[in-house]
Amino acid sequence: MQFGTVIKSARQGLTRERGELDLKYVVAMKQVPDLQQLRMRDRRPILADVPVEFGKIDRNALEAAVQLKEANGGEVVVVSIGNDELTDTIKEAMAAGADSASLIVDEDADALKSADNAKLLAQLIKDIDDVGLIFFAEGSADNYSGQVGSHVAQILDYPQVGYVTDVQIQGDKALVTKALEKSFEEIEVTLPAVLIVAADLNTPRLPSVTQVLQAGKKPKKIQDLSDVDYEQLVVIKTLDALAPDVSRKMQKLKDVDEIVTILSDDGFIGR
Amino acid sequence: MDFKLTKEQELIQKMAREFSETRLEPLGDQMEAEHFIPKEVLLEMGELGLMALPISEEYGGGGIGYDGYVLVMEQIARVNSSVHMMMSAHILGMSIIDTFGTPEQKAEFLPGGVSGEDIFSFAFTEPGTGSDPAQITATAVKDGGDYILNGTKRFITNGNYPGVIGAVFKETESGKLTTFVMRKDIPGYSWSEPWNKMANNGGSLLDIYFKDVRVPASAMLGNIGDAFFHLTAGIGYGKMGIASGALGMMQKALELSVEYANGKTHRGEPILKKFQGVQMLISQMATKTEASRWLLYKIASDANTTSKCDFERFAKDAAMAKMFCGESVVEVCRMAMDIHGSYGLMVEYKIEKLWRECIFSPQVEGVPHMQDIIIANAIRHGN
Repeated sequence: MQFGTVIKSARQGLTRERGELDLKYVVAMKQVPDLQQLRMRDRRPILADVPVEFGKIDRNALEAAVQLKEANGGEVVVVSIGNDELTDTIKEAMAAGADSASLIVDEDADALKSADNAKLLAQLIKDIDDVGLIFFAEGSADNYSGQVGSHVAQILDYPQVGYVTDVQIQGDKALVTKALEKSFEEIEVTLPAVLIVAADLNTPRLPSVTQVLQAGKKPKKIQDLSDVDYEQLVVIKTLDALAPDVSRKMQKLKDVDEIVTILSDDGFIGR
Repeated sequence: MDFKLTKEQELIQKMAREFSETRLEPLGDQMEAEHFIPKEVLLEMGELGLMALPISEEYGGGGIGYDGYVLVMEQIARVNSSVHMMMSAHILGMSIIDTFGTPEQKAEFLPGGVSGEDIFSFAFTEPGTGSDPAQITATAVKDGGDYILNGTKRFITNGNYPGVIGAVFKETESGKLTTFVMRKDIPGYSWSEPWNKMANNGGSLLDIYFKDVRVPASAMLGNIGDAFFHLTAGIGYGKMGIASGALGMMQKALELSVEYANGKTHRGEPILKKFQGVQMLISQMATKTEASRWLLYKIASDANTTSKCDFERFAKDAAMAKMFCGESVVEVCRMAMDIHGSYGLMVEYKIEKLWRECIFSPQVEGVPHMQDIIIANAIRHGN
């Protein structure tokens, strides 16, 4: 990968002094089926008995928050909405460095759409004091609608930056690096703000055995849908979700030149 | 009856799998060539809590029991049998001190093993002694308040790593087998060049020598004559380690074979779909792997209690797990070789290395017929 202009300023002296107001770094995470164990039948996923976990980019978002906490002090709070399994799934985030969690656990949670989730997450976040940054993955590993972070930013009327690859805290502002196609943009944003992180911005740490064993003992606030002031927005109905139907052309080719011609005609090479 | 893992067990298993794939896989060839596991890897494993999984939490261990231990060991061996071999001997050495040591011995020795700074060994076998403790010739001679240790021990895993060793000697006054525990930098302790093995050279196996090694009487584990219990329990821990390694290798052989048989085509169709002969092999491999897995998990779960108090039952269980998993892994890898055909002989294909590694499982810690004797005698005694 080649980047054109790389705009980066010196990083020295940008971290907050410990002992200043301890900010909360909120990370919104979503439990999804373990995609490696997902099987398809008639182009539909078989979800029965597939274990759930947090998505890969969600883990990147959590890691970014934990690194900021380690550099600047503060706390990492995970917010999440999910079915009953979430009370167990949340241990994964707690083991990986979250300090506490605020959850909505409800058997109807799986039917919620992006807009519903955004309204509910915004409510959970409003109840958290001293929020500095709110992290979202650029998309969830299951639906990948990529809408919830922006929606939450709008509801809370917070600034939002997407495609985030680096964050530094500077007083009451964050210096955020955003990936563009061939360059980086550096943005100063006032806190609190919503940051939507790109995949692979970091390597999430592996939790130690001790961290896993202590994960269940960390504080969690658990509510269900009846506990929150909420009315479902039934505006989108998913009719079906089908895996792409892959077909092969099975063309017999005479020589390399013909392969090159076909690949360039189809736009795979020579763009 | 509940065969589900707890969330914590799932997360620890997942961590071990990710660690193996991201950290151990790229270092495999280097460890094999150098006969050594890099120190930073050992310390990293210590940070993650992998070096002391079943050891008491009081001394820094994970306290996750032997069921948690085998879950992790399976994941390690699936990727790197050498690191698995080091861990198996290390945990064996630590477990004996954790089970039989005084609070002072545990406090002195165990924390270094937890962090990965110290690597543990346990020494019993001698050049003239296999599985028969009565033939041990290494001696411990009382000299005032000390003991003087002399003798040679054979095929000792981790013998050249800095750390701690427990070794069995004949106490000359009583003629009884007795275990002593000491650091490996003690004067008079030395080791041979590592044995060149057909595989697993990242895990070191050496002969070690005690020449007039002087230890205080407080280095004795338990009492004079207790070594039999240490051997029964300790080798049981080692056998669960070997069985978990066999399971990890079986799982890998199965994965490789399914991948190969799905990718290899005959007249346009994958051989796994087209040929019943291949299907039968995959079916046998999967079934043996699954049977091995649940036998081992059950026995390891029981070992959390039996290994502390019911030694003959534990010895029988561990022998069953080691025998069944050890024989199954060779059968499974043999079938994997059949599926791979000539490609299985090529070093570019991972099954080639697994085929050399799998034979360790039945060979070490007593061959299958040795296990038969232990199992049958335990049954004869009503266990």
